[in-house]
Amino acid sequence: MAAQGAGQRGARDPVQTEIDIRKVSKVFGQGTAAFHALTDIDLQIRSGEFFTLLGPSGCGKTTLLRVIAGFEQPTGGSLQIDGKEVAGLGPNQRPVNTVFQNYALFPHMTVAQNIGFGLKMQGRPRAEVAATTDEMLNLVKMEEMAERKPSEISGGQQQRVALARALAPRPRVLLLDEPLSALDLKLRKEMQGELKRLQSETGITFVFVTHDQEEALTMSDRIAVMNKGRILQLGSPHEIYHSPTERFVADFIGDTNFLELPVSAVEGAEATVTLPGGNGTAARLPDGMTPRPGEKVITVIRPEQAHLVEDGPADLQAEVETAVFFGTDTHVHLRLPDGQGFILRRQNVDHMAEPAPGTRVGLRLSPGALRVLRG
Amino acid sequence: MEATKERHGWKWLLCTPALIVLVLAASGPLMIVLIYSFLTPGNMGGVNWEFTTEAWFRVFWRRDIFDPDQVTWNEAHLTVFWRSISLSLQTTLLCAFLGFPTAWFIATRPPNSRAIWLFMITIPFWTNLLIRTFAIQELIRNNGTINALLLQTGVINQPIQIMYTDFAVLLGMAYVFLPLMVLPLYAAMDKLDFRLVEAGYDLYASRIKVLWYVILPLVKPGFIAGSILVFIPAIGAYVTPRVLGGGRTMMLGNLIALQFGQGRNWPLGAALAMLLLIIVVTALVLYLRWVNREEVRRG
Repeated sequence: MAAQGAGQRGARDPVQTEIDIRKVSKVFGQGTAAFHALTDIDLQIRSGEFFTLLGPSGCGKTTLLRVIAGFEQPTGGSLQIDGKEVAGLGPNQRPVNTVFQNYALFPHMTVAQNIGFGLKMQGRPRAEVAATTDEMLNLVKMEEMAERKPSEISGGQQQRVALARALAPRPRVLLLDEPLSALDLKLRKEMQGELKRLQSETGITFVFVTHDQEEALTMSDRIAVMNKGRILQLGSPHEIYHSPTERFVADFIGDTNFLELPVSAVEGAEATVTLPGGNGTAARLPDGMTPRPGEKVITVIRPEQAHLVEDGPADLQAEVETAVFFGTDTHVHLRLPDGQGFILRRQNVDHMAEPAPGTRVGLRLSPGALRVLRG
Repeated sequence: MEATKERHGWKWLLCTPALIVLVLAASGPLMIVLIYSFLTPGNMGGVNWEFTTEAWFRVFWRRDIFDPDQVTWNEAHLTVFWRSISLSLQTTLLCAFLGFPTAWFIATRPPNSRAIWLFMITIPFWTNLLIRTFAIQELIRNNGTINALLLQTGVINQPIQIMYTDFAVLLGMAYVFLPLMVLPLYAAMDKLDFRLVEAGYDLYASRIKVLWYVILPLVKPGFIAGSILVFIPAIGAYVTPRVLGGGRTMMLGNLIALQFGQGRNWPLGAALAMLLLIIVVTALVLYLRWVNREEVRRG
């Protein structure tokens, strides 16, 4: 049931919905001890995309993954995979496979037996199991290790075997629960590339869970940022990074400056806010938010979207507190006239001198970079 | 592994006190038993120091009273041997079947309540075996609790004969030895990574297949330890077959005791005791060999 031809899938309409999650909630415990792990999750994951659930630990991302896998049944809502309602079906009845955080390879089986396990359980003919196992060993470059036990191979190799084992039955969706968290940095980078390669080669929908924002940004087609059992923002890595709509999202992803500024005018999806020093500048509003003029709003701007100006017009003035040299860039910690702190990141293109503490500098903001946050 | 062994090579010295006790208390008496089995019985028990293999002969065969040259199989003995082996195997199997779900239940409880369940498993050890066995007798005898209950509710109109049957002995032994199966099984399951069970389900295995392909192979060490712990005392059991089986369903332990008591044939008792030892060691060797071959076959 899981494996009707990976071949046709590549030719399918790429915006077809693979997983359709509507109003899904999950409550553990009852009464006063009840814990709302997921609240009203609405999510459509597209066929063939690399989708990431990003959030801090305890945000509900792993619970959502376990609900999709079938390890947990949702308390409410509906969940469709490939157009079929799967509520009430166990993990063994869903065309979905999981790569577990600590791989969960069967220690009593060889690498090859691990990879062939899913196919064997599906009752595939022996020859097909053997052929697919070989194919998968080849895909993850583990041919030489086929007869080893999981305890006899390295962490990175176990990771590959776990991937091959989950991909072997050709599931419609591959769920990955922080699969790289146990690897060291170098291996993690390598496996990130490997995962992207496997995803494009197999065309299978990947749902990836991580708390690592950099990992999410580099690998995903789309990201859902979660906190406290809710999806706060859903979008491409670009949208999530450059257009956060919630303070939590902006704070969780990358370094950020938050500025509390008064609104002077609102026009459509754009507000004019007054910068410290009195200059007005445009700031994008999140959908459905219309602050009144005079109201104070929280705005956000990334450290690399502000620039020091030597001469010429500046948006605002600031005083340098410290400058920290990082090699490729320098972080300049500034104090604005109204007392708010501001961090600016400057690319070190030439041998530029670090601005001295106490210097007054002019700042220019990238046009359209300033955004108003909800809440 | 090798390096560890070498570095700690001298540590076996720590075993010396235990070794001394073992040698004095086990090997010594064992030698005496072995020697006695080749002597002739004394008239009032005890032995006469005359070498003979008659005791070993009489373990399996018997001579006609009037014509000592006419030899027949000692069917009474063979029946006892067969019953001992068969009942011990059945006890081991029954304990495994009853013990697995119990151990699984305990191992899947929240960690803080597991201690309570384990504690409850050990409660029977607090009472003397003899008393517990008599308590079972109270339950299963013809005018005991179970029969009274069944008669009263009209399920039966004649008491069922449970006492003095093989089944009564099996029941009693399974009851006595069950904790010895549950505890090692629990220990094995406690180490089991339950994510492996989830991985099994995730890879399209049904509950039965997860049990067969994932759980059972991983808790096998528990089964092995449990089987050995149950089978060995079961085959030499004395109290349970004596109380619940009576004279009709004797086991090896009772036969041996009989030779040293009313039978007044110490050499035969000694030979039977040695035979019991041989059976146990042979069974153990065969079992471990079979287990290891399974290991190799599974790869």
